[in-house]
Amino acid sequence: MASTQPKNDVKSTEPKPEQAVPEKKTAVLEEDDEFEDFPVDDWAPEDTEAAKGNNEAKHLWEESWDDDDTSDDFSAQLKEELKKVEAAKKR
Amino acid sequence: MSLISEFLGSIRAFVQNQNGDELRNWLQVEPNVAQHYYELGQQLRSSCPANSGNIEKLVEKHLPEEDDVPEGRGSPWPGFNSFMEEYLKYWRDVDFNDIVKLYGRLSDLLISCANALANPTYGIMLLQTSMSLSEALSKLVMSITKEPSLMAQIQGDQTGDEAGEKKSIVELAADIIQKIFTSCLTDRSSTRWQPPKGKKIAVYLFANLTLKLLFACDKSRLAVQMFTNLSTSGPALSLYPASQRVTFLYYLGRFNFDHGHYMRAHWCFEEAYRQCHPQFLKHRRQILIYWIPSNLLLGRFPSQQLLSRPEAAGFADIFIPICAAIRTGNFVAFYQALNGPSRDWLWDRGLYLTLLYRLKSLVWRSFTRKTFLLTWEGATAGSDPNMMTNRAPALNLSDLVTTATYVQKLLEGYNPVVTGNILTLTPPPGGQLKRLMPSEGLIFGNKQPDLDSMESVVAGLVYAGLLNGFIARQQKKFAVEGAKRKGGNAVLAGWPVPYESIMERFREDYEDDLAAADAGEATEPPGEFDDVPGWVRMS
Repeated sequence: MASTQPKNDVKSTEPKPEQAVPEKKTAVLEEDDEFEDFPVDDWAPEDTEAAKGNNEAKHLWEESWDDDDTSDDFSAQLKEELKKVEAAKKR
Repeated sequence: MSLISEFLGSIRAFVQNQNGDELRNWLQVEPNVAQHYYELGQQLRSSCPANSGNIEKLVEKHLPEEDDVPEGRGSPWPGFNSFMEEYLKYWRDVDFNDIVKLYGRLSDLLISCANALANPTYGIMLLQTSMSLSEALSKLVMSITKEPSLMAQIQGDQTGDEAGEKKSIVELAADIIQKIFTSCLTDRSSTRWQPPKGKKIAVYLFANLTLKLLFACDKSRLAVQMFTNLSTSGPALSLYPASQRVTFLYYLGRFNFDHGHYMRAHWCFEEAYRQCHPQFLKHRRQILIYWIPSNLLLGRFPSQQLLSRPEAAGFADIFIPICAAIRTGNFVAFYQALNGPSRDWLWDRGLYLTLLYRLKSLVWRSFTRKTFLLTWEGATAGSDPNMMTNRAPALNLSDLVTTATYVQKLLEGYNPVVTGNILTLTPPPGGQLKRLMPSEGLIFGNKQPDLDSMESVVAGLVYAGLLNGFIARQQKKFAVEGAKRKGGNAVLAGWPVPYESIMERFREDYEDDLAAADAGEATEPPGEFDDVPGWVRMS
């Protein structure tokens, strides 16, 4: 496999991603700042989600999320306002 | 024998054995090296002062170019010797406390390494060294850009990027690393579609290193040329190890995100996430930070299932309030979700402004939908559900003015108060309305919604495909189209599923491009529907 780094196996080395860059700051705000180098070069496709096909991916996102409920507070306020303005027009 | 002669003798042996790993191990440049390197520097300072020409003589003596080189063996070459001269000068002159000088020396050293690497016969043995020197330079540049005083010293009397007279240090460093990238890309040992050989094995290593540097310094736009080169002649990404594939797709996704191509960004992040080993939680988390916003902008929300994964820990607190505000069309909640405790987190990752401006149209979509739900009484007349009328489903723009004005008042600081059964808005204490920033108001700061502005909002939503219908200007209404096709459901017809509309619009644009290419109008054919420039897939 193409690499200039010594090849490792994910399972045999059991790398802990958190330890990949020891000097990394641990402050919460900086926690996610960088896409670190992977501690291993390659891993088997069957160990990834890509091997499980698209079924898994289907459940990751919600496409139909519309809200038909008009009984919440915000809707009730808008409804009141519409009624009030409508009534004022008729006066 | 002096340390210098001993050192050069070992280097010669590595060259003869074409041992790239040992060359990298020996040709170190960072401060945390063995004491030998500092002693080497000391000897060089005493025996080879600047302009004495002694370094050149030493290199010529210890690294002679060989004539009859047996197969499988190597020989020093002129480019390599120039690089070695530069390397010895580096250790003679280096002062790790003088960052400005260090930057200059290290840049020169990497340029000369890149030149040596370009040698078609032996250059490849410097691949590992090129990598470690590039890493050292980009690390240094990244730390310099965080120190304004150092930047000022290095840039001196720079007239600015706009003048185009002088490149920034990020650009200069990226240029050098890209030179190495190009050297790898143009290696002819293997074709685009064969397992990589020769210098080609390092194409994506250098691409990723350049991208890491550019993104760390907010200069991602400079990556355009590299992606273009990859599209034109780059080897297929799938031929490379998983770590390189995932890293590359992550940066390509970020590039597309930064440039408003959310569909392409989504494709890149999706593949990066799917190919990332589940054990690398931090990497998967980093991908999610941009993959979730990409999907929000495409009208899709992260599911509970996704948000409950370990790599998404804490993300529900950030994204669920945003999704809830979009879902209900509640602008007050939308601004609260973005300006609350999540603001700094979103801002630091370059997400805040994109979400603030670009998600607003989805909130408007739900808001117009809600106003329609509250005002449209259906096609039936009065209390008899069987008495159908010819009324076409429509949203009165004046009703939208009413609801929008109400929300604008809430944003300006009015408070809803219920007295008896009557709801009124009371002005904020002291009667002083909140002065809204342009981005904080419904239209523009404190500008009040009116018929014209509502018409323009609705027209924008129709144009984006988020609303299905047309504006009847005489009647001052938005008329819903296609209700019959949806079994009389006017809401479903007028407010189609956003993701489907956005996808459809994307497909229409692609088909327009195809048609333009067929008619000979386009300069470049658009390729496949899901092509992402820079992402080379097996054909």
